[in-house]
Amino acid sequence: MKGRYDDENLKWIPVLILAIFLFPFILKGATSSYKYYLYVLNIAGIYMILTIGLDLLSGFTGLMSLGHAAFLAIGAYSSAILVDQVGIPFELSIFISPVIAGLFGLVIGFPALRIEGMYLGLTTMGFGFIVKRLIIALREWTGGSAGMPVSKATIFGFTINNDWDNYFMIYSFVIISVIIARRIVISKLGRAFMAIRDSEQAAQASGINLAKYKMLSFFISGLFAGFAGVLFAHTSHFISTDHFDILLSIYFIVMVLIGGAGSIYGAVLGTLFIVLMENLFIPLFKDGLAKYIHLEAGDFQAFIFGFIMLLFIIFQPLGLYGMWLKIRIYWKLFPFNPRRRST
Amino acid sequence: MNDVLTGLLQESVSGIALGCIYALIAFGFTLIYRATEVVNFAQGELMMVGAYVNFFFVTQFSGVLGGVNFWVYLFAFAGSIIFAILFGILLDYIINRPLKDEPVFSVIMATISLAIILRSLTAIIAGPISLVPASPFGDNTFNIGSVVISILDISIIIWTIVLMAIFYFFFNKTRWGIAMKATSTDPEAAQLMGIPIKQVYRFVWIFAALVGVIGGVLLAPRMALLDTNISYLGLKAFPAAILGGFGSIPGAVVGGIILGIIETISMGTLSFHFEWVKEINDIIVWIVLIVVLMIRPNGLFGIAKVKRV
Repeated sequence: MKGRYDDENLKWIPVLILAIFLFPFILKGATSSYKYYLYVLNIAGIYMILTIGLDLLSGFTGLMSLGHAAFLAIGAYSSAILVDQVGIPFELSIFISPVIAGLFGLVIGFPALRIEGMYLGLTTMGFGFIVKRLIIALREWTGGSAGMPVSKATIFGFTINNDWDNYFMIYSFVIISVIIARRIVISKLGRAFMAIRDSEQAAQASGINLAKYKMLSFFISGLFAGFAGVLFAHTSHFISTDHFDILLSIYFIVMVLIGGAGSIYGAVLGTLFIVLMENLFIPLFKDGLAKYIHLEAGDFQAFIFGFIMLLFIIFQPLGLYGMWLKIRIYWKLFPFNPRRRST
Repeated sequence: MNDVLTGLLQESVSGIALGCIYALIAFGFTLIYRATEVVNFAQGELMMVGAYVNFFFVTQFSGVLGGVNFWVYLFAFAGSIIFAILFGILLDYIINRPLKDEPVFSVIMATISLAIILRSLTAIIAGPISLVPASPFGDNTFNIGSVVISILDISIIIWTIVLMAIFYFFFNKTRWGIAMKATSTDPEAAQLMGIPIKQVYRFVWIFAALVGVIGGVLLAPRMALLDTNISYLGLKAFPAAILGGFGSIPGAVVGGIILGIIETISMGTLSFHFEWVKEINDIIVWIVLIVVLMIRPNGLFGIAKVKRV
């Protein structure tokens, strides 16, 4: 009989978690500019929580969303308003704000019952534009397009001050999110999602309530994204509608796809890959190149980013997780031929 | 009351012209989607590249021919079209060929990265300064009654009609057009019938580049300044393609024109008379789209696919 998590080697998980929490100390010892690296990693962590939720929606349920930055914005703004203007403690806002984003998820999930595929992608994109406009229109609370400052997070009297503290808070939540998402995937809920993705008709014939599970998928995805939004608001201390651009939504789906849709670790890896590439490797590469070529335009960074992505897709179309699976299967097959699990 | 009517009429004409540009971009989406089921996120960028290339040719030719005249615009236009054809072939080689057996989403991602590349490359080459595009018709207008119509708008509308007529003829009457139709219906069956689908796909990309570039050439004089932000118009043409029904050619045209008119009227008369419309000016297109999709999930002209289990 197989265990629940039979597709992974559980004994490495505590090591991995320990490594995540020891990493800042190693970084601090290794380089003096560790604060910037931590900042980049924090952004990656926040986006990871969102892309895990997006993966549950797009990768597992097969519902395309091109408007996930809107959920991030809803989470961020509701937490900022709840904590700073209403006066609700941060510990409570962590629970309330994601639920608000989740409820918006239900709103957009409602048309998803009829609309499919690319049409749904565009509907969610429209939702993203509408939410952005709504935030600007509600300028008494949100500060309009000028943005608003947000207070620092305080958990049980302990104030989260800088990127160092943020790192531990964010990555604790990333680990919790991964665990929850993995539990969802292996539960009845996750199996229902995957059944809907593979064939709606077959799923319906097997007694899965399409309306209920599609709405639920949007709700859960909204929860994750809203939660990421709460963290975003209270760690960046300033939010404006420019932070939740439509291009960000497209980047999110790219992160999920580049990691490999339909795998939680894939979403995490893809997010880490894109964020690190955009914020660390490409600036380094650009600085290295600037010695030889005279460059002024700031767009050069975007150019390299697009170019690397294009090359990556052409040579590795199945994403990072697909690449990892290939390597793993190769090593498994290496001496003999063990049973091969279909994924 | 008469003023309002005049304003509405005037805005409608200008809206139709804007809608024609949307229709051209949406048409590019539709072409590629029909043939390969790929959503080309770089269509707006193709349009931007077209606008820039045309601008470049106009400056170059006016230097050679001494001053800006009719021939300069004609040569520049011809040059842009030749560029578009070459560019389409290039796109086929770098996007379509390497990814032909991969899942559709990989190709979609490739078009997203292509969009990033094109936008940044144009910004690098053209520099950070916004250019001021010239129009062959200047600011000339003519009047019908009290309605003032710009000649530029009329020329855009006429060009779009001519292009659509050519494409209609091509798709329905010529050998290659019918081969394209067959390929988009069922690639495997088409291949079995002896249709060289590789060439067909190349043609599809060439056409997409062509409509994109022509859209850019037509649009540029309408804008006061030419910068890389006009590629975001591609995002606005998405609802046009979706509204008409993705993959439907008349749908793309009708969707584009409807959205163009709605946008112009809402920015003009409606904003003038109702204060609150100003708040929703730039999202009214999306609201219309969502409402339409709630009623007709496959767009106005789309046909629901019958699914087999």
